This record gives sequence, structure tokens and C-alpha cells, in this order.
Amino acid sequence: MNYTIATIAPIFLLPFFAFVINCVFIKKIPKIVPWISIAGIVGAFFYASAIFMDFFSVYNTDYYIHKVFNWIDISHGENIFKIDLGVYIDNMTAVMLLMVTGVASLIHIFSSWYMKGDVRWERFFLYLSLFTSAMLGLVLSDNLLSVFMFWEVMGFCSYSLIGFYFEKEEAGNASLKAFMTTRVGDVFFLLGILAIWSVVGSVDFPSIYAAIADGAFTGKTVFGMSLATFSAFCIFCGTIGKSAQFPLQVWLPDAMMGPTPCSALIHAATMVAAGVYLSLRAYPLIFVGELNLFIAYIGGITAFGAATIAIIQKDLKAVLAYSTISQLGYMVLGIGVGSYNAAFMHLITHAIFKACLFLAAGSVIHSYHAKYMTEMGGLRKKLPYTWIAMWCCTLAIAGVPFFSGFVSKDRILGDALYMMVYSGIGAYSIPAILGFIGAFLTPFYMFRMMFLTFHGKNRNKEKYDHCHKEHLKWNQNVPLLILSVFTLGVFFCGSMTGQGIIKVAHQKLEWFKVLVEAPVGDGLNKFKSYTKQGFSNVDTRENTAMESSLYDSHYHTGFAGEGFDHKNEQAHHDLHHAHVEGAVASVVIVIFSILLAFAMYIFGWMNPNFFYNKLGFWVKAIKNKYFFDWFYVDIVIKKGLLRLNRFLSWFDSGIYDRYAIDGWATINRYIFKASHWFDRVVVDSIAVDGTAVGTQIFSLVTKSIQSGYIQKYIIALVGAIVVISMFLGF
Amino acid sequence: MITLKAYLFISLVLFVTGLVVMLSRKNIIAILLGIELILNAAALNFVAYSKYTAANLDGHIFALFIIVIAAAEAAVGLAIVIRFFQVKESVHIDEASDLREELTR
Repeated sequence: MNYTIATIAPIFLLPFFAFVINCVFIKKIPKIVPWISIAGIVGAFFYASAIFMDFFSVYNTDYYIHKVFNWIDISHGENIFKIDLGVYIDNMTAVMLLMVTGVASLIHIFSSWYMKGDVRWERFFLYLSLFTSAMLGLVLSDNLLSVFMFWEVMGFCSYSLIGFYFEKEEAGNASLKAFMTTRVGDVFFLLGILAIWSVVGSVDFPSIYAAIADGAFTGKTVFGMSLATFSAFCIFCGTIGKSAQFPLQVWLPDAMMGPTPCSALIHAATMVAAGVYLSLRAYPLIFVGELNLFIAYIGGITAFGAATIAIIQKDLKAVLAYSTISQLGYMVLGIGVGSYNAAFMHLITHAIFKACLFLAAGSVIHSYHAKYMTEMGGLRKKLPYTWIAMWCCTLAIAGVPFFSGFVSKDRILGDALYMMVYSGIGAYSIPAILGFIGAFLTPFYMFRMMFLTFHGKNRNKEKYDHCHKEHLKWNQNVPLLILSVFTLGVFFCGSMTGQGIIKVAHQKLEWFKVLVEAPVGDGLNKFKSYTKQGFSNVDTRENTAMESSLYDSHYHTGFAGEGFDHKNEQAHHDLHHAHVEGAVASVVIVIFSILLAFAMYIFGWMNPNFFYNKLGFWVKAIKNKYFFDWFYVDIVIKKGLLRLNRFLSWFDSGIYDRYAIDGWATINRYIFKASHWFDRVVVDSIAVDGTAVGTQIFSLVTKSIQSGYIQKYIIALVGAIVVISMFLGF
Repeated sequence: MITLKAYLFISLVLFVTGLVVMLSRKNIIAILLGIELILNAAALNFVAYSKYTAANLDGHIFALFIIVIAAAEAAVGLAIVIRFFQVKESVHIDEASDLREELTR
């Protein structure tokens, strides 16, 4: 495949043009707006598939394409100011493009059913198209600057989608909350970009990787810490905001106020994925900056905390929202413990099954006209297709073997276990243990959600009778069924369990593990010799094909910390062990968790309310989402910022106005009295009146040329300039 | 090779065109257009001299300033034209001669 602007740009441009065209048509022909949006994203999907198939057929870890065009260049001699934009496509980008366009297409199609007839439903598609195009632009971007621009466009789109029903006050507040909370991370992200610029001199990824490979970051410090650590921390703060990690997770549950398909888009394919994607792109920086432990802690805390909150939620979508935060915590934990590949795999698998779960939840809510699970139950007879799709995804997110969630999450947990053992049950233990507890809670709350929604007895007869039986509709349940097919682990990992228990015939089935390689250690070598000038239009297809030994599934990517040399036999052996033990442990955990869910909600051996009443303080903490909302709103904003404002207002009126302004005014009054006398006697009578008489006489001469016609003045002006320049110049 | 003179010639043409437009047209909006041309001629001169003689970016920065000032000037100018039209119901330049000196005394 020959890469030109015509084969790459449509991925971003088709949805964007759909947005632009829709802007024109939304008032005139609102009916075609959804179709244009769907056509745009499906077209982008075909282009993305072509790129993915090309990368898959080349099958080389080192294969990447970097096309650059010049955006701003006002360099002159020694003064260099030059900004390039471009696309950078490696294996990770290709997979990501395929996932985003595919999931987004299905979400668009589903939206045409879900939103039909809703208020402003054409406008919804406008935002969807812009949102998707921004995400695709972000994925294609080769530099942090354009990543940041698309990042902000997505922030704006999520703001408008969350606040889509702006008649409701909560929706307006939720959109504002999402926007402001992510802004905290964005400020740090921008700082990080500037910090990187100060070292590398440009912000495109290959340059950054080359600078890291050449050791440009070593020895540089800022604020008493290493510059690599500082910039990695700042970039990661962007991820914390966008991917709703531990201190800034508060916006994501409130984002449920938007329509359900936009929740699917925000929580699966685009918004939150962008944060993790950024951290993966900046992974070499994190590695060099030795920020892994911090990130592992953030991820572990998020994965555990959100999972506990999800257990007691009554709202169907809220369970999914907290499970999203929890799963994002796993991805971040994966980045922290150095399992780059598995974290990215979890990003992809999670995007697919979470999109499906949200769409299925939308299908339930829209058909049943209720959002609380306390009103549901026994819906499997009414909504059979949604039921099947949702079960597939539940099994995937729960980590049941042979489903995609098991493959990815288990590898993250295995790596976490390895890091825990390697660090001697030291610093890495807590994130790993939190991760495993989260893995215990995940199947429980997901099965609880399924049982309360689809199984058991119905709890609201009126709504149940009113709900029609579901038929197979191309834009309602077919997208769900398509997505649920891809929850099978076989698409991501040929050996299904991720441990090589079942040998597969064709080794290319292990594509995901082999192709996506962390750009650290050996992975950075390909960037080493490049200079900035050599970058434009790089296509590395000419490189030799991979050795067949690398087709093996146990070709492992880099691990965090110094001395994690995967070529070391002992380390490799330990890693293998940790993975097998991790897999066994997580399967056991999942089985126990599922049994617990069955015991509580199907067989009724244990009463959930019993635990709910017994664990008083714990339940209170969970119910209040660990007091984060209370802390931010009541303490930080009301007690802190508003009190600061009140103090400043008092200072302004009490001190500044009263003494500085009023005092100055009193002094001035006396000055004025003195100057008034001087003015009247000396200036007015002698100077002014005297001048006036003189001027009156002079004006008789000059006023004859004040004709009032502007063009005559201009002629006089030009003539004067010509005459003067003749005198001066010649 | 494009010489400095070529740039200056184009700048001159722009300037003179703008001047002629300013002097000959009676429509205020057309006169504003003429001013834009003159501003662009000046900006072109700055960039051209910066490219050929000075070894720094001062000329470029002046050109950016001129662009911004031209935008502001267009906004203010058009606002004045709108108010003028509301008062006089015409955009003829010779209507704008209320401040002339009446030679009665």
C-alpha cells in the first residue's frame, strides 16, 4: 500500500467533513444528518481497515510511517522557529484506528435508533462526528501539540454531549464538572509539552524517542527533580484528568447525564481511551523518568476504589460508569508495572466490550423506560438479543477464560504479580494486591447487575407489561451482537488463555503481543540514528522482515525499572511463572466471585441487605463515593475558594477602597482647590484668553481650507509628502 | 531568483492602487478597501526588507502587527460606516463633511 495524504487523511477528514456538511444541513434538511454522519464514520472505517490490513500483512514490529508537513516556519538564519504537523502510524496506531472507527461506526448506527425523535437529535450527530474526528486526529497525530489540540476539541465535545439535555440542571452541572475537572489535568499536560520542548526542541514522538535513545534527558533537572520525571508526571496528569484516574475521577460518573450512546463513545472508544493512549505514547518518558511506581499506585487505587463503589449502585449506567473507572485503573496499573502491551490490549478489549455494555444498557433503558435496576428484573424474555450481547460482555469484563477481558486483564495482573515478587513483596505489592481485590469485585458487581436486570422476578409489573418484545433490528441490536462477537479472546490472542496452554497452528494469531512493542530498550533502537531532517516521510517498510523466532508468543516487551532485562534467563523464567500463577489466581478469584454473586442474587442463600446494614461506615463511605464530591465541592470550592473570595472582597472594599482610594481622594481635593485658583486667575485670564484672541485672528486665514471633503485633505497630504520627499531625497 | 525590486514593485503597485481607490471612489466602503491595500503594501515592504537585508524576524513581526491592526481597523471602520449610514442614509464620502468650517463670518 502506498501511503499518501489521500490514503491517510480521510480517516480524520471524513467524519470531520460529515460534521461540516451537517452544520449546513441541520436547519434545512435535518432528516439526512444522521446518514451523513454514519456515512462519514463508516468511510473512515474502510480506510482504517486498509491501513490495518497493510500493517498486518507487513507484520514487523519496527514498521512505522511518519509523514510530516510544515505548518509554521519563520526561521531566519540562526533564529529557528518551526512547527511541523504530521501523521505517525505504527502498529499501535493501526490497531487503535481500527478500533475507534469500528466501535464509533456501530455507536453511530445504534444512535440512529436510540436518539430518533429525541429533542435536538440531529445536533447529537453533529457532536458525534466532531468527537470521533477529533479522536481519530489525536490517534493519527505525530506530535504532542496537535494531540493537545484534538484533546481540547474532545473536551469541548464531551462538554456538549454530557450537557445534551441542558434543560435539566444536573446535566448542565455535570457537563461543567467534566469540563473543569479535566481542565486541571490539561494544565499539567501543557506544562509537560513545554518541558519536553525545552529539551528536544520539537514535540513529535519520533524526535522525543530519538532524544530519549540518545540520552538527551539525562542530568537535566527542574524544581529539584529530573526533567524526565517532571515531564512524564505532567503528561501523566493529563491522563489522570482525561481517563478519570484517582484524584480526578469525580467527573466520569456524572457524565451519565448525557444520552447513553454518547456515554458509550466517551467511556469506551474515545475520551477515556485518549488519556491512556497518551500515556502509552509517552511510555519511554515514563520509563526514563522512573515514574512507574507512582503510576502503578494511581492505577491500583483507582481499580480497587471504583470497583467497591460499583457494588452498591442502583442505576444501571452508574454500575457501568464505575466499572469503566475501575478498568481504566487496570490499564494505568499495567502501564505502571511495565506491561505496555497488555495495557494497550486492555484498552482495545475494554473499548469493545464496554461500548457494547453501554449500548445494551441504552437498549434496556430505552425499551423499558426506566434506569434503576430496582425496577427491573426478568427482562431476558422481553429483550433476548440485548440479553445475549450483554452476557458476552459481562463474561469478558469479568475475566472469564476464553473471553477478551481475561486475556488482557490477566496479563496485567500477571505482570503486577511479577513486579510484586521481584520487588521482594515491597513497594509494588500494594498496587498488585489492590488489582487482585478489584479482580474479585469486578465479576461480582457485573453479575449482580445482570441478575438484577435480566433474571429473577420482575419488580415493576406496569412497565414490564408496557415493554414490547424485542425484534432483531439493524440499528438496535445488530451493533450489539457484532460487538459481542469481538469479546471472544481468540481475536486478540491465539492461545486464548494468554498462557500458551493450547497451541495454535498459525503463529500470526499471536499478532497483538508481537506487533505492539514498547518503545523502550530495544524498541527505541530504530529511532537512534535519526535526525530531525531525516524524519519527513519515513516509511520503514524496506526494513527486513522479522525473524520467525519473534513470531513466538513469549517474545516479551520491556519491563519497568532498571535491570529488568527480559533476555536474562532467570527473569524470563520468573515472569513466565508469575503469569501462570497470576492466571490461576485470577481464575480462582473469578470463580469465587461468581459463586458469591449467584449465592446472593439467584439462590438467595445470603441476603445482600444483611451486609449492607452490617458494614455501616464502609457502606457510608462507598455511598458517598469516598467523600470526593463532598471534598471538592464543600471543602475546596465552598470552604476554600469561596472564603478566599469573600476575604478578597472584604480586603478590596474595607482596606483598599476605604484607605487607599478615599484617602487619595481627600488629598486630591486640597490639591484641586489650589490648582483651581491658579487655573482661574493665571491660566484662564492671561494665557487662554490671550491665546484665543491670537488664534481667532490666525483662524480667519486658515479656516478657508477646511472644506470638509476628506478626499481633498488626502490630496493635500499626498502632495505635501511628494514635495517634502523631493526636497529631502533629491 | 526573485529580487528585492520585484517585491518593492508589487508593493508600489498595491500602494498606488490603494491611493487611487482612496482618491477616486466616493463610496466609504471602497475607500476602506483602498486603505487595506495600502496597509498590505506596507506589510509586504516589511517582509521583503526583512528577507533581503535584516538578519532577524523584526519585519515578520511587524507584518503580523499590521495584519492585526488592519483587522481592528476594518472592524472599527465598518462600525463607523454603519453608524454613518444610520444617520445619513448614504455612504457617500462627501456627506461626511459636517465638520467643515462654514465661511460665514
